[in-house]
Amino acid sequence: MIAHQVSIFLENKPGRLEKVTSVLKETGINIRAMTLSTSSAGWGILNLLVDRPETACKKLSEAGHPAVLREIVVVRMQDRSGALHDMLSLLALAGLNVQNAYGTVLGDNKTAILVIDVEDTEHVQQIFDSAGVQALTSKEVYGL
Amino acid sequence: MYWKPEIEILPQQQLRVLQAQRLQDTLSRAVNSPFYGKLFQKHGIGPETVKSVDDIRRLPFTTKEDLRNNFPYGFLTVPKQGAIRLHCSSGTTGNPTVIFHDNHDLSSWADLVARSLYCAGLRDTDVFQNICGYGLFTGGLGFQYGAERLGALVIPAAAGNTRRQIKLMQDFGTTAIHTIPSYLFRLHGAFQDLGLDPRRDTSLKLFVIGAEPHTDAQRRRIEELFGVKAFNSYGLSEMNGPGVAFECQYQNGLHVWEDAFLTEIIDPDTLQPVPDGEEGELVFTTLDRHAMPLLRYRTRDLTRFLPGDCPCGRTHRRLARISGRSDDMFIIKGCNVFPMQIEKVLMRFAEVGTDYVIELETFDGNDELTVKVELQKEWFTGDIEALEKLSRQIAHEVRDEILVTPAIRLVEPGSLPRSEGKAVRVIDSRKS
Ligand SMILES: [Zn+2]
Repeated sequence: MIAHQVSIFLENKPGRLEKVTSVLKETGINIRAMTLSTSSAGWGILNLLVDRPETACKKLSEAGHPAVLREIVVVRMQDRSGALHDMLSLLALAGLNVQNAYGTVLGDNKTAILVIDVEDTEHVQQIFDSAGVQALTSKEVYGL
Repeated sequence: MYWKPEIEILPQQQLRVLQAQRLQDTLSRAVNSPFYGKLFQKHGIGPETVKSVDDIRRLPFTTKEDLRNNFPYGFLTVPKQGAIRLHCSSGTTGNPTVIFHDNHDLSSWADLVARSLYCAGLRDTDVFQNICGYGLFTGGLGFQYGAERLGALVIPAAAGNTRRQIKLMQDFGTTAIHTIPSYLFRLHGAFQDLGLDPRRDTSLKLFVIGAEPHTDAQRRRIEELFGVKAFNSYGLSEMNGPGVAFECQYQNGLHVWEDAFLTEIIDPDTLQPVPDGEEGELVFTTLDRHAMPLLRYRTRDLTRFLPGDCPCGRTHRRLARISGRSDDMFIIKGCNVFPMQIEKVLMRFAEVGTDYVIELETFDGNDELTVKVELQKEWFTGDIEALEKLSRQIAHEVRDEILVTPAIRLVEPGSLPRSEGKAVRVIDSRKS
């Protein structure tokens, strides 16, 4: 199954991010990783990797935030220099437009993952499959 | 000293007599238009209704709505073939307002602009660079014809391309410029970028500024930067355009040309004349326009008459600079904008809903327009490029409507004030 992240529209203003995290805290959602892509026009999109994306998205939406689930591909990264570059080169070679990609080190301090947000997740899966890179299942992603 | 001394220094009493005669003449023309023909019949009005200028109060007001509702030919007093030029408001939503001129009107308008420019100090030995939009905007052709009538050498430079403007000034020894005040700040920056000092490297000695709100401090700053005297011009397209009221060398208010415009100042709520010298809404009646006379036209501009005589000797009364509007129109970069125009564009974009706030700010001497709109939850896909494209699209369509490119700022839903009643939609924090 394809994994999802939650993407949230946010204004670049003090207190906005805190509003989002407080909704998640109340719902008992655990945040695994996050990135914020900002536009020059005073707003940005917050991408969250969480343990229960559907619930998180629903609760955020109810609280008035524009929030959606976006498909992602998550792979475990090898602990060596150039690993990230190799992964992204695979996608670039296939001509894929990566909307957003972010790496993060998980709580155990040993595991690094790469989260890739593209239009065509199936295509990414295929590329990684044929390169022998194992993508995580959604269950694995949410349980990280 | 004067362009038309027999008019400009005519004693007030005689000026009133001239106005009464011209008002009667205007009424006898106006009745030929479908709009006034019906209105006069309804109210039992005719040229004989008016014996003195004060009788004007027996006539109803004319509003922008009337112009829109009777678009395009409802105010024409002559067959369409008799008109030779029109100027109309920009915009694609709703009916614009259009003003028609015949030969007499264009000639009379050119003469008023020539008189105005002469009053500010322009002479036939000057080189006059007209830096403003030509076409439908009345500042282009209005000043062109007026400065030509005066006999100056006119450069129809139009707006934009600052480097080229500077080159024209240098090639032809420009001595006078008409433009909007904010452009002069940009122009000064361009001189600096080129390592030039306009006080030393040009022959400039006279500016005519208008069509955009500005303070006296801004005017003084412009004068300081360029070492050039700057004179205020007031006009509106419904009253031809420029050439309605103008400053003389004393820069102490704008002489309104009372032989061409019967001028009233009213309380916008009670519609009664305000006591002399108090602020109110300007109301004009054209006294020398044939194809399309307008009676008691409500300008929505707020001002007052200044007391006392002007040392220049002109008898036409002086208006204080416009202090604001009695409606929600605002002016930016020389363009008149109604919030409704922007609202109608936003209504085409389901992604942003219909609540909005317009912010007007000054950055580096430039006035900027920002439109804040709420991104609707249902339309959010998490795609940053899609949102940027949406912003560009809205900016583009707003620009087509109001001729000024806005910055579009998406905000979270529910963060703007609801549109109940008369919500404050325009926040004007421009330096004043
Ligand atoms: Zn004067």
